Amino acid sequence: MLFIQLFINGIQTGALYALIAAGFSLIFGTTRVFHVAHGATFTLAGFVFYELYTVLAWAWPLAALGAAAAAAVFGVLVDRYVYSVIQRHEAAFFTVFVASFGLAIVVQNLIAIGFGRGLVTVPTPLSKSLELLPGLYVAPMAAVAVLCAIVAFGLLQWLLTHTNLGLALRALGENPELVRVYGLTPRRLSQYVFLIGSLLAVPAAILTAATSGLNPAMGHHIMLISIAATIVGGVGSLRGAAVAGLLLGMAENLSLAWIDPQWSEAVTFVVLFLFILFRPGGFFGRAVTS
Amino acid sequence: MLAYLQNIAVLFCVNAMLAVTLNFIMGYAGIFSLAHAIFFGVGAYTAANIAMHFSDSLLLCVAGAVLVSGALSMVLALPALRVRGEYFVAASLGLQVIGVTVFSEWKSATGGLGGLVGIPPPTVFGHALATPGEFLGLAAGGLAAVLLITTALLRGSFGRSLMAIRDSESAAQAAGKWVAAVKTLSVAVSAGLAAVAGAIYAFYMSFVNVEGFMLETSILLMAMVIIGGTGTVFGPIIGAALLMLLPPALTYLPFLPPSELGTVQQIVYGSIMVLLMMFRPGGLVGGRRKRGKA
Amino acid sequence: MTPRGDTSGAVRAADAGPVLLRMQGLSKRFGGLQAISDVTLDLPAGMITTLVGPNGAGKTTLFNMITGHLVPTAGTVHLHGKPLARLAPWQIARRGVGRSFQDLRLFTHMSVLENVTTVIERGSWLWQRRADPERIQAVLNDAGLWDKRHERAADLAYAERKFLSLARIMAGDASLWLLDEPASGLDPRSFDRFVALLRNYAARGITICIIEHNLDLVTQLSDRVAFLDQGKLLACGDPAGILKDPQLAAIYFGERA
Repeated sequence: MLFIQLFINGIQTGALYALIAAGFSLIFGTTRVFHVAHGATFTLAGFVFYELYTVLAWAWPLAALGAAAAAAVFGVLVDRYVYSVIQRHEAAFFTVFVASFGLAIVVQNLIAIGFGRGLVTVPTPLSKSLELLPGLYVAPMAAVAVLCAIVAFGLLQWLLTHTNLGLALRALGENPELVRVYGLTPRRLSQYVFLIGSLLAVPAAILTAATSGLNPAMGHHIMLISIAATIVGGVGSLRGAAVAGLLLGMAENLSLAWIDPQWSEAVTFVVLFLFILFRPGGFFGRAVTS
Repeated sequence: MLAYLQNIAVLFCVNAMLAVTLNFIMGYAGIFSLAHAIFFGVGAYTAANIAMHFSDSLLLCVAGAVLVSGALSMVLALPALRVRGEYFVAASLGLQVIGVTVFSEWKSATGGLGGLVGIPPPTVFGHALATPGEFLGLAAGGLAAVLLITTALLRGSFGRSLMAIRDSESAAQAAGKWVAAVKTLSVAVSAGLAAVAGAIYAFYMSFVNVEGFMLETSILLMAMVIIGGTGTVFGPIIGAALLMLLPPALTYLPFLPPSELGTVQQIVYGSIMVLLMMFRPGGLVGGRRKRGKA
Repeated sequence: MTPRGDTSGAVRAADAGPVLLRMQGLSKRFGGLQAISDVTLDLPAGMITTLVGPNGAGKTTLFNMITGHLVPTAGTVHLHGKPLARLAPWQIARRGVGRSFQDLRLFTHMSVLENVTTVIERGSWLWQRRADPERIQAVLNDAGLWDKRHERAADLAYAERKFLSLARIMAGDASLWLLDEPASGLDPRSFDRFVALLRNYAARGITICIIEHNLDLVTQLSDRVAFLDQGKLLACGDPAGILKDPQLAAIYFGERA
């Protein structure tokens, strides 16, 4: 029974990780920007939702929209006013990474000042666990999480294969100049990428707030998962990042059957290490040894 | 007052040693590590254990710390050899996270969350270091040694090989450079010398616990190197000095509640990092261009 | 088109002297793309061989397979009669293979002097291979860069950068030089100086293989020409014969039979 419980928890966590990782992978795969501030996007969306829904008592659709707006605006502004400035004179991986890192630190700490450093939860009617079977506790939120993930990926898939924007996005990863064929510039397209990528983190943030709660420092963990999933899934493969996110969520939860909770984060990294050592290309990616 | 200044000076030396050794791989080899605090910690715990259970000779403890840390760095070196920068950052992050968990859980070696207390002072030629002045001498000596070793390596053929690899790995290979060996050695040197700082820190505080070796510390060290200027000799030292002055400087601002100091400190250097990357990627010492000269 | 003349680049036993580098049946496949098909080519010692062919013919890929930057899908490469299979690029370099890149890949943050010194030093450790200052000076003088020795590679003029790329190889003590479009974009004076320099080193017994589009260079320097198109070796032999062949010219300039 424990195993089934962990399995279901794993699917719930995995679904959310898949969404977050897909957002990061989309951004990194197409723009080559190591956007570690993606974790900050997640935290921001979560806390905005908390503020609007729990503190100011807005209706949840409005609160969700508010969170989405915050995430989208943050992502696009960071690209427009920070990354593009840097890329104009120095496109080195290092410089962009450090700037992103600095931003993540700033946002995380601003949130800590505003909301305190403790855990913050968003109680909703669906958050309460129901005992489905003796010893098996599942909250309806879990189903919502999985459903959200499926819908989001469905939309993403449609976007990538049936719209001009989607095709241009895929072109951007291969050959930036090709993008002009679609009537867009790489710069403009980059902003769309950050928009979509940031939005992908929003459902995960809201659902996490409603299930396990939020704290300002969680951006770190989110980033760890995003990077790990992107590498394990294969750089340039959204499908890979999503699958890897799911698997990492499963692994994190299932491993609790054998090891203490403190080590579950380590499990993610052992998996990552093994992939880097033996299969740097990940599941679906191209091998990227230098 | 003197005691206060001596304390700051010792901590400055330790931080500067860490910043210089991190700069060794970041600024010159182009290897970005978020796990530097772990090697600091490994050095501290190893030296403490040797002193507590075996011998309190300074030489032995430091040697042990360097060896263990250097050996552990092979774990980090392996991914560095095979994959590009982005992947390496992820691997180092993984090592940092796992390392903290190991430090917190391995009670027999690290004392778990409580840490190790009562670390005996180290002995040099039979004399146990006791006064703050003596510890300052140790710390300053450590910093001088680290600077000497890293500069000697960087000014010589090893440094040239390192920079060649950083500028174009394929051309360095075509020039006959055994890239894997150079990278591995640079990671080992960086980790080993960071362990020296760890040993000095453990002896000075006579107490170590995991708090000093967490992700926050690795981030702080990276900030010191970046803000001071990667790939320069004085950059990391200036970065260390500045970021150490920050917390005391902030206490002078009346409107800041003391409980928020750590947070504000992080906001300040986070913002500095962003602004520097936008307008002066070479850091304070480096200037507009990122240089890499010893 | 049907291959002309002797398509095996193998040197007949009756011909000239020893063969420095022997490529046999080399092929390279990238996923669905066959980049090189069954290339057999010898580089005789002390001779200058030029590799010509339209863009995308696979010339650089061939170089990459010799230097170990790419692993062949099939075929072998032998240097001085010994196989180069499974050796890392640095090991092949240390066996005396020097190589330049089309995009130069200079050590941009280092000075001219350091660029050359680090090649001579070769090894990674503190105590290996002291760089002989006279040797460095000789190399830099030949390349005409002695006066600029303290300048950063990134700050050099275009022609100077090309010469630095060559100077690195000269410093490396290689017996086989693989040059990838080394003279492209050079002004006439630098070009003449370049040709003279190559002739000089060839006379000292260095084996050189050049990828070139500049037909002047080809005619002035080559002892042998190999024509590559779409991964296949179409012709190999005397420069005059190959350069005057109308069908090869048609391929080279883009019209296909």
